[in-house]
Amino acid sequence: MITRLITVIGFVVVIGAIVTLEFVARRPTNKIPTIGEWLGYLMRGRAGRVLILLGWLWLGWHYFAR
Amino acid sequence: MAADDVGRLQPSRSGRWLGSDRARRRIRRFVIGTGLAGYCWEAGGTAPFSSTALLSVLFPGAVIAVIAYGRAPERIKPPDSLDITGFSYWIVVLGVLFEWEASAFRDDSVWSHPSLTLLVHPLIGPHPIKSIAFLLWLLAGWGLVRR
Repeated sequence: MITRLITVIGFVVVIGAIVTLEFVARRPTNKIPTIGEWLGYLMRGRAGRVLILLGWLWLGWHYFAR
Repeated sequence: MAADDVGRLQPSRSGRWLGSDRARRRIRRFVIGTGLAGYCWEAGGTAPFSSTALLSVLFPGAVIAVIAYGRAPERIKPPDSLDITGFSYWIVVLGVLFEWEASAFRDDSVWSHPSLTLLVHPLIGPHPIKSIAFLLWLLAGWGLVRR
């Protein structure tokens, strides 16, 4: 029971950190890039674009087809 | 035609009617929105591991691929460079998420040490929630195509 609780708390903390980071990144005069900015940067080349879109497709398959 | 519409229906420089353009855009948005909502509702109701569920994911994937390479919309300009210190925060957080997930995966994702998948699946179990999650996934795909 306790290990499950620790695992869940860990996921909540990390996902909370992602949301906080995105929130902080959207504030003006901040050097932290938003998710959209760094994804856009990684998607400048064709290989990065294909890989990110494949990642998106995998996410859909993993959560909605399985 | 209502008297109020007369002022709004002005020809543009190209001679086209702005009012009718706006109406066409609204109709287009309504049709796309309704179609998307209907599709997500159907996809949210498919049984896991069925061929229908697989096709409901692969079809938008194919559509996104065609749009991305055939008829790409106007893209949001990416930054020329990333601040390495700022980006390192993302690397750390995503690294921790990956490590946390991998440790659960290594333990076969049992009840006492669940992976994110095992935790998320019951949450998106109800039909309406799964349909909303599917819609968010589609919108994320559209957001990626515009990047």
